[in-house]
Amino acid sequence: MRAYQQDIIEAIPSTIIVVDRGMEILYSNRNYYVKSGKKEREVIGERLSRVFAPILMERTRIDDKIRDVLSTGIPFDGAQLRYPGGFFFFYKIYPLKEAGGAVNKAVIFMEDITELTRLEEELRDSYIKLENANAELKENDVIKSEFISTASHELRTPLTVMNSYLEMFEDGLLGELNEVQKEKLQVMRSQTDHMIRLVEDMLDTSRLESRRFKIQRRELQVEEIARTAIEDLSRLAGLREHTMSLTAVEGLPRVKGDEQRIKQVFSNLLTNAIKYTPNKGSIDVKIEDLGGTISVVISDTGVGIAKKDQEKIFEKFFTGGGSSLTRDAGRMGLGLAIAKGIVEAHGGRIWVESEVGKGSTFHFTIPHD
Amino acid sequence: MKVLVVDDAPFILKAIRDILEAYGNEVFEAVNGEEALSVFQEARPDVVLMDILMPKLDGVGATRKIMEIDSQAKVIVVTAVGKHGLEKDCMAAGARDFIVKPFKTKDLLKAINSLGENNR
Repeated sequence: MRAYQQDIIEAIPSTIIVVDRGMEILYSNRNYYVKSGKKEREVIGERLSRVFAPILMERTRIDDKIRDVLSTGIPFDGAQLRYPGGFFFFYKIYPLKEAGGAVNKAVIFMEDITELTRLEEELRDSYIKLENANAELKENDVIKSEFISTASHELRTPLTVMNSYLEMFEDGLLGELNEVQKEKLQVMRSQTDHMIRLVEDMLDTSRLESRRFKIQRRELQVEEIARTAIEDLSRLAGLREHTMSLTAVEGLPRVKGDEQRIKQVFSNLLTNAIKYTPNKGSIDVKIEDLGGTISVVISDTGVGIAKKDQEKIFEKFFTGGGSSLTRDAGRMGLGLAIAKGIVEAHGGRIWVESEVGKGSTFHFTIPHD
Repeated sequence: MKVLVVDDAPFILKAIRDILEAYGNEVFEAVNGEEALSVFQEARPDVVLMDILMPKLDGVGATRKIMEIDSQAKVIVVTAVGKHGLEKDCMAAGARDFIVKPFKTKDLLKAINSLGENNR
């Protein structure tokens, strides 16, 4: 059994040295001989200061520390030592208690932490690199936001010109149009309107990102906004033969907010519900007061959203590529990101509950006084 | 009505001119804020439609200068910049209305006519 214990001590990949009160070395395990290249006869019975390199004695003042441990019986918890040649050691000193509790010997534990230190430095380097990359990414994000902002501003000029002449045609200021021309004009109108909306969405997104997004705070009735939003989309819902309903508790308190923006939230959520619900579905809007907050619940009988996408759908440019949602050519994946931005600017929350194949239920809240 | 349209985009000038003329207005043009001041001096329009981002003198500066020339001048800002706070800056400079491009013709006409009528 004792031989077995001895084997363990010899096999430990750390240096173990035992000294007495006279700083004479009584024992050293094999690791020390391997590390130092010294022979047993050069070590055992010698004074520590003659065995350890002067620089080591000087830098650690190890003899003082050993003396402290021997006189107090309290272990020295450890310190790091940098050794010439790029080596790092960590050492500790423990008192060796004898049967009666007397302390006349101390054990020095030394561990080569060169590799560990190198790893630590590598980790620190990686961390710095990561920080730099992160800063660069943030800068790219700023550039991207600026680009979106510039691009959408630049697009407004040609859109203004196109829109103006379209209106002149529509108002009959540029001559009478035949039926075919009128029909094609309508297509141009709806596509131009669509493009205007896309540009607005792009601009809203860059505003949200740069926190330049400001909302007005006027007293308003959420139920009325919901009603107009539903009315505006009734034609679109009709094309798909959906039924839309609105249920609101009587006497809902008014909230302070931005009417246009809250309507935009309803429009974005309802448009999605209409689009992602197979024909003849139902879309229900329920508004109630939870005391301090108005709660809006919009549920559909649509295709639903997979669990893994339920958080992502509120991120910008998420169009469901390769996910449960099909890529829709008419969208840039901004609607829900904008809705989230608007709701949060009002101090509310927005989230979704959904099951694939059964439908989705979007919730949002707007606090009131 | 005499309307001065200030914009550095030639197609915008043309489009607004076509619309306004179709509704019987007389149109003057300027392609930057500086030119707007000299045309304003000469033509003394009833209403000025002012773009914001322009070379030489921008719309806010031009509006301020026009108000110095004629404190009764009616300036409507028509801009593609939806930057928050810009509307306030324009109003502080003396503008009477703020319209964002792309606008609806009826909104533009309404703004012009309501200001123009007050003028007479």
